[in-house]
Amino acid sequence: MSLDLTSPEWSITVPQLIVFLTATVLLFADAFVPKDRHYTVLTGISLVGYVAAAVALIWQRDTDEATFDGLFRADGLTVFLTLTILVAAVLTVVTSASYVERLEGRMPLGEYYVLVAFATFGATLVAAAGDLVILFIGIELTSLATYVLAAFAVRRSTSLEGALKYFLLGAFASAILLYGMAWIYGATGSTSLDVIGEQLATMVAGQDDLDASLLLGMLLIIVGVGFKMAAVPFHFWTPDAYDGAPTPVTGYMSAIPKIAAFAAAIRLLVQGLAPLRDDWEIVIAVLALLTMVFGNVVAVSQRNIKRMLAYSSIAHTGYILAGFAAYDVTEGGTGFSTGGSDDGITSVLYYLIAYTVMNIGAFAVIAWVQHRGDGLTLDDFSGLARNNLPAATAMTVFMIALMGIPPTLGFYAKYYVIVALLRSDLLWLALAIVLMSAVSAFFYLRVVAVMFFNDPIEREKPFTSQTTPLLNVGIGGMAVATIVLGVWSSGIIDLAAEWSSALDVLAQATP
Amino acid sequence: MSELGVEHFLFLSAALFIIGMMGLLTRRNLLVIFMCVELMLTAVNISLVAFGWETNTLNGQAFAIFSISIAAAEAAVGLAIIVALSRRIRTVDVADIHELKD
Repeated sequence: MSLDLTSPEWSITVPQLIVFLTATVLLFADAFVPKDRHYTVLTGISLVGYVAAAVALIWQRDTDEATFDGLFRADGLTVFLTLTILVAAVLTVVTSASYVERLEGRMPLGEYYVLVAFATFGATLVAAAGDLVILFIGIELTSLATYVLAAFAVRRSTSLEGALKYFLLGAFASAILLYGMAWIYGATGSTSLDVIGEQLATMVAGQDDLDASLLLGMLLIIVGVGFKMAAVPFHFWTPDAYDGAPTPVTGYMSAIPKIAAFAAAIRLLVQGLAPLRDDWEIVIAVLALLTMVFGNVVAVSQRNIKRMLAYSSIAHTGYILAGFAAYDVTEGGTGFSTGGSDDGITSVLYYLIAYTVMNIGAFAVIAWVQHRGDGLTLDDFSGLARNNLPAATAMTVFMIALMGIPPTLGFYAKYYVIVALLRSDLLWLALAIVLMSAVSAFFYLRVVAVMFFNDPIEREKPFTSQTTPLLNVGIGGMAVATIVLGVWSSGIIDLAAEWSSALDVLAQATP
Repeated sequence: MSELGVEHFLFLSAALFIIGMMGLLTRRNLLVIFMCVELMLTAVNISLVAFGWETNTLNGQAFAIFSISIAAAEAAVGLAIIVALSRRIRTVDVADIHELKD
């Protein structure tokens, strides 16, 4: 093996470098900016950083290159996934600024933003990974920062308990994922995803039985990312970690680590292990069914609204996995996606961005209710419409979007997954999505009914609002986006299809 | 005397990995559980280096070095959470940590 060190192409890593720079600048600003100006300055730096990264990303939307000896890829998939991650990061900053500053005994805002920035940076690395090593580093960077964020309300032991469960099972999952990567590396002799794909294609061709070590590696990888994305039966940590964490962190945890896990799954299974598609597809399909059934059925009995949304997020993992299972059975895009891309992956990408907006939105309303001094049970939402109609309307929008009613984002997300499934002859999975959506109507609409038809709770102390314009505008923006982007969804699906086509050309080169 | 082959190392690694996994699933002391997680990560490093030796590539060794440093970072975060929690509830027994439930 010869060492051939060419100088890396720094220009295509600019968006990720901007996120990293944001994290570093935040660290310094936290130390040197006077305490009373933290709120404005640090929030400003975070927002400017993420927006600048997004602009840089759109700038390079047409590149399809790899650098650092194939470790880092800048292709359409990187662009779409990173944009989704940056949207989630911006929404998190908007929803958490006042919460972190004012609730749960004033948590340190600077450290909070730094951790969010590093977790975001890790997720963008996963989205741009062209190699097992960088993929693992990205996942771990995201996870480690998120463990700390989950434990951020140190004064409350439930926050620590949730973080502990998240940490132990997360580290367990990392070890399993790493072991799977080791076996794949052992079988192919390379950690580069492209080389793995080529090697496997030649190994699989003309051979009916798979090598046991490959199968073991593949299963370990699926278990590992299954833990990270909270698929049943690897979901045990999810309700506790979501319930214990500060509410804006819960919104963050339900979005960015999940996007990172799906990005890893796309990179690993579609880019690297594409030749084993027939083997992993059925595993993913079964996981999808288990996940959506379990998530929806258990969510019905929850009174705590954060736990309810935790199970709902498990259910949504199931829907996204269903889109994943629809990958490329049809051989090339015959459906809604254009340019030779794959329907299944396109629907996954669309679902990820839809899920990000509506789910962080729902958690933002919960945080808003907590700003008023109320708690987390369903009773705390009773009569909200009479006290504050805009907030109740926003929550209603998020609930019907999560349920999947047209013309919201959530409807189109499910629609595209179902279309992809039908084209792949996975009718049973499509039926399961429709049935489970009907089940989910019960617990989503219960929140709406409680807000509009119950009497407001009696207050002992007079109502004091601690919300900020930033949070209010953020919630309003997300509610509007949930509807407007839903109506305009063909634009997003075209982008998703266009940007995932790079991946598909690559997978088809290795049949 | 038989030669040491790659399968010896893989067997050792698999054994350590399974010992770690069983410990994680059966032990009740938080610190022991945490050690079991670290044992699993270390077991994988043996596999990585062994595979690197077998396939005659350097990627495995490089991967192992990264994985060691990640395990160290994980230890820092994990111990911090365990210390913060045990200060608050004065126990490291997982059976006593059950405030969050359905």
